[in-house]
Amino acid sequence: MTKELTPQEMLRIDLTPPNRDWMDIPTVIKPGIYCYPAKPEKVEIVGMPNPHVWSPLDDDWGLPDDWKETFLNGMRERLNKHRSFKIFMDICVRCGACADKCHFFLGSGDPKNMPVARAELIRSIYRGEFTRAGRILGRLAGGRKLTEDVLKEIWYYMFQCTECRRCSLFCPYGIDTAEVTIIGRELINLFGLNINWIQEPVANCYETGNHLGLLPHTFKQNVEFMCMDIEEFVGINIEPPFNRKGAEILFVTPSGDVFAEPGIYTLMGYLMLFEHLGLDYTWSTYASEGGNFGFFTALDMAQRLNAKIYAEAKRLGVKWILGGECGHMWRVVHQYMNTFNGPPDFLEEPVSPITGTRFENASSAKMVHISEFTADLIKHGKLKLNPKRNDHLKVTYHDSCNPSRGMGLFEEPRYIIKNVCNNFYEMPENTIREQTFCCGSGAGLNAGENMELRLRGGLPRANAVKYVHERYGVNMLSCVCAIDRAVLPASMEYWVPEVNVCGVSELVGNALVMEGEHERPTDLRGEEIPGFAKAESEEVTKDV
Amino acid sequence: MGRKLHKGLREILEQKKGPIVEKWREQIHKSYPPETAQFLKREKDRFSNPIGSSIEESIWPLYDQLIGEADPLTTKKLLDNLVRIRAVQDFSPASAVQVIFALKLIIRREVFGVVEKRGWIKEYLEFESEIDRFGLLAFDVFMECREKVWEIKRNDLMKRPYLLSGGMCPSYMMKRGIKHLEKLKKEITQH
Repeated sequence: MTKELTPQEMLRIDLTPPNRDWMDIPTVIKPGIYCYPAKPEKVEIVGMPNPHVWSPLDDDWGLPDDWKETFLNGMRERLNKHRSFKIFMDICVRCGACADKCHFFLGSGDPKNMPVARAELIRSIYRGEFTRAGRILGRLAGGRKLTEDVLKEIWYYMFQCTECRRCSLFCPYGIDTAEVTIIGRELINLFGLNINWIQEPVANCYETGNHLGLLPHTFKQNVEFMCMDIEEFVGINIEPPFNRKGAEILFVTPSGDVFAEPGIYTLMGYLMLFEHLGLDYTWSTYASEGGNFGFFTALDMAQRLNAKIYAEAKRLGVKWILGGECGHMWRVVHQYMNTFNGPPDFLEEPVSPITGTRFENASSAKMVHISEFTADLIKHGKLKLNPKRNDHLKVTYHDSCNPSRGMGLFEEPRYIIKNVCNNFYEMPENTIREQTFCCGSGAGLNAGENMELRLRGGLPRANAVKYVHERYGVNMLSCVCAIDRAVLPASMEYWVPEVNVCGVSELVGNALVMEGEHERPTDLRGEEIPGFAKAESEEVTKDV
Repeated sequence: MGRKLHKGLREILEQKKGPIVEKWREQIHKSYPPETAQFLKREKDRFSNPIGSSIEESIWPLYDQLIGEADPLTTKKLLDNLVRIRAVQDFSPASAVQVIFALKLIIRREVFGVVEKRGWIKEYLEFESEIDRFGLLAFDVFMECREKVWEIKRNDLMKRPYLLSGGMCPSYMMKRGIKHLEKLKKEITQH
């Protein structure tokens, strides 16, 4: 797949790439684009096939002898099992409506990153190996045979899709290319070809309950560190409850919020909010992960990892579950959890203990989004807020792909931001809400070694941020997803270095006026708020 | 940046600005695969076509800088807009910055006949040297971008040493780790 350039090739600085059929353009696997392969022990832990050491740059990927048969049998099984997959293989007319909607295509200019082309990598195998026309006519019918090079090409591009589903929005037939990627990755996993950035979190989550492998005492300790910071910056002592049986609510959030900047400030926002309300809730050190990298591996792995949330809710005897700011967690919760591991009849339809609001939208999975919960509190005037504490920020909001396209969460975060900030500016219409651009690093692609890929994928989003930065002076990009918070800082550093990244609950924490707080000259990051030096205590607060 | 351009030559280059820059744009589009080149040309919305729009926003003022009295900072900013994207795409360093040198051939084809007729060869060669300077500046920008990518990569890895070391306690990293991180950075810089 890859080779050294000859001296003649080195001298050929060609400005115009060849105009050939996509099947004739060989895929060259390049460092900076792919993620490192899964460590064998991490594959083994969860009992997945063919754990082995290999490298994408080697010719020999250590495939088992019967890999082709395994792939085709796996594909046949999935074509029978998932009606949607079969339909997506059959009905695409290659109209091109999706072609220019993918952030990876828009950022890389690589035509194989057009969603239609990426799906075509697998669709061509379907035609070539499973349909009569394709078997007889081959390329004339858009079919090709499965070879090692084809498999490597599929591998390369299945990990250049973040399953964000923007393309599906524009498909007149409703083809969800993300589902093709999901199946593509499942097939790849039949030979132990996962990437480590996905596999290790999966193994950790399976063993300890979260992606980072934080053991219960460490998880607890990290949350307590955040409480120490809150005590310093806000003057309120918080002792959060862990694994408390009989609590009304179980709170689950991505573990990224527990350790990674700037997610930790979002976590401080949650802690302050719950303390302020006197909420009867508990953290769990076992269901200590909202994210689910199993979802980027295989659906049955997603099911296995997701199971811990309901199991823990049952063990603790809570009434319902509150979920933090996460991306794909909400797609799993909203679209899969109830059938993966439910229905959770032991739980009740969520009702806010503060406002009495019944969250009918969550009556099936019994899990409420923190933005829904907070927006409801603000709407009922249950929070005392001083948005001036966020006056040094000019905020825009990035709709994370999964909460927006996966569950329709558009208004609540905006409603919250408008109540806790005085300066809010929307990005252009065709880059937000349903049409939001991915951060460029979702679906397990938030590693470090594939930074070029991440920066390409992040370009369309950053391009819109740059626009509001130049036009309105926006300096803060808010979002409700832990992967966004982890990866957008890198994207901003490259494309729009003047802009920072935060979670919505961090902005809430900054604006929240708590009973008994001391003077707060700094924000939750410990940075001084302009105009809030010592004499600030007389600031007007806003009751909402 | 360079010398002041010969008045007559400048007038011709100004007259030919439209066709020259349009051909230049086409050449840059064609540095991408054909399907992509078509898209870059077709889609006019800035947010639906970030590559195409950044090309469009850079090349016209860059040409003005080239034939006018170039301001180094403005020129560098415009080159940045053009090269930053190419620095993370599938281009070799040479291909990434060659889009500037490509301008030479385009301009030669447009104006060299007149230049030759009027005997402005020396002035024209001086002008071409200015394009070279732009090209070299583009290489500076390219390298800055690549250095930035590596810096981001390094920082990304430095933030995650628990993964590199196979299980360092994150809570240790949290509070005491800031100092530890600084120490690690220092060690890496020293070696």
